[in-house]
Amino acid sequence: MTGFNVGRAVEACLSLLEAFDPIAEPYRRFHQNLPPKMQQTVTAFAFILPFGVLYAIFTILPIFQTFYISLHKWEIMGTNIRYIGLKNFERLLTRDTQFHQAFEQTILFVALTIPIIFVGLFFALMLNRPVRGIGIFRTIFYLPNIIAVTVIGLIWGRVFASSGRGLINAFLENFDAGPIPFLDQGDLATLVVAFTTLWWTVGFSMLVFLAGLQDISQALYDAAKVDGANSWHQFRHITIPGLRRPFAFLCILQVIASFQIFGQVDVMTGGGPAGNTRTIVYNIFETSFLYFQVGYGTAMAVIMFAVLLVISLFQLALFRDHGVGS
Amino acid sequence: MTAVGAELQRKRQQIERRRGSIYILAVGLFALAWMLPVIWTLVTSFRPEAALQRNLASLIPYPFTTENWAFILKSSQLWKWLGNSAFVSTTHTLAQLTVCSLAAYAFARLDFYFKRPLYILVLIGLMVPFEATFLPVYLLFSNLKLHNTLIALILPGIASSFAVFLLTQFFRGIPLELEEAAMMDGAGRFRIFLIVIVPLSTPVITALAIFTFLGNWNSYLWPIISATSSDVYTIVIGLRKLNQAWGDVNFYGRDMAAAVFTALPIIIFFFVFQRRIISGIAINSGIK
Repeated sequence: MTGFNVGRAVEACLSLLEAFDPIAEPYRRFHQNLPPKMQQTVTAFAFILPFGVLYAIFTILPIFQTFYISLHKWEIMGTNIRYIGLKNFERLLTRDTQFHQAFEQTILFVALTIPIIFVGLFFALMLNRPVRGIGIFRTIFYLPNIIAVTVIGLIWGRVFASSGRGLINAFLENFDAGPIPFLDQGDLATLVVAFTTLWWTVGFSMLVFLAGLQDISQALYDAAKVDGANSWHQFRHITIPGLRRPFAFLCILQVIASFQIFGQVDVMTGGGPAGNTRTIVYNIFETSFLYFQVGYGTAMAVIMFAVLLVISLFQLALFRDHGVGS
Repeated sequence: MTAVGAELQRKRQQIERRRGSIYILAVGLFALAWMLPVIWTLVTSFRPEAALQRNLASLIPYPFTTENWAFILKSSQLWKWLGNSAFVSTTHTLAQLTVCSLAAYAFARLDFYFKRPLYILVLIGLMVPFEATFLPVYLLFSNLKLHNTLIALILPGIASSFAVFLLTQFFRGIPLELEEAAMMDGAGRFRIFLIVIVPLSTPVITALAIFTFLGNWNSYLWPIISATSSDVYTIVIGLRKLNQAWGDVNFYGRDMAAAVFTALPIIIFFFVFQRRIISGIAINSGIK
């Protein structure tokens, strides 16, 4: 478990290469007679080929297919495929209240998970002190982030379970209080999922901020102290501006990630109660795999993709104006 | 005078140290509260079902039982899923590193026709989330009758735009002279790639390998739609299905043991690669 040994892998590849030498000779002669840029083009294409094939099949082609399928009534088994133009989009945008609800819910999750960045900053500031033994807490707070969503969802789903089979409600029962319907009431369930997301991912923001904090030169603080700046002034005029870059990075990442919330919802609430925690991706998943309407699901994906594209371009432009982008 | 100064300094250090330990204690208590659900999960996995029926909210594993764990560790299913996860994630990671580093070498070092448009095409992938395009990929695997195979879990995502981007940036920073020296010795491009570029890029390759492995191990959306037969579940999906099958009512402790069993390998992985993971986040976020 010490990682793979790069040196040994290289050696193995080299000996494999030598086996091909006799075949390679005639090719080498042909290659040498090409003009230099052509030579490099042939070589470059050979280097890119394996990537290119997989990239074409699994990324580029699906982009076009997504648009193509979204213009059809398309059932998942490949039966009943019919071109219907923009009808899917018309229905989505004008009539489908479930999709509208999922869209609003997703925006709500984005709004509720933005604070994760600030909590991450708080954790980073809390742990950015030269006290012995503080490193262990970085590990502890980051640890949940590498654990799979099924485990996280299972644990927190049970902490918040609505009946006496949930930790908090079982605890309240001892005092004849509760039960609080955490997962049976729409707004509460939304908050529970958002909080679980916070607990799960805040360590990442924390580490990014910690790296950012360590990049701010100590000389700036020393100079400010000489000038008589108190700790709030130092924070306001040195720390905050110094963290712009990680902050911009985390904002973009957080919005994009929250826009695609799926796992937590699937594990903890199944979109419920009464569709109250159903997000866009969950809606796509349900439409395509529960109701088998892939064409319709793909149309939702197109809309989600368009919104994400606008958000990321907008954010990039915004941050570039403030001199954070590069 | 100096004696008084030394005495003062010693006192100040003492105060500072005491302040440090108070601070650590406060942070420690907060961390303990933060991790309470994890501790509860662990404790619950060692409590017998009857005790759990009586009182769920306890952090004392008394009466104590290893029954839940014995059941989980004897379950051939869970071990099989663990094996699936290990195989899928390892293969996926090795394939991604190979394929993407080769492409990145071309973009970083060769001067060829269509280089710019091709590179832009690669960067487009950075803006296309898998969540937006997974349905056609699903249909493709359906047509090829490849669902419910490990291949289906390995293939998507191997050609990663991010990996190519990261490696291209890194390869560009390697001094050209090293390559030229190897070329003088008559080495071809592929050989240069292997003996000059790869060994010099070990840090970034390792960081990428770790994050690719973690990402694939923890992936949820794709395996839950592609793998519907229990032979090919990854451990992450398997836990979900067990959880659904057992329900909340009857096997509470067993479920918790299964959750810990699922998390444990990746926690061990984390502690082995801890330093690289933490520095890798700084690399990925472009701060360092």
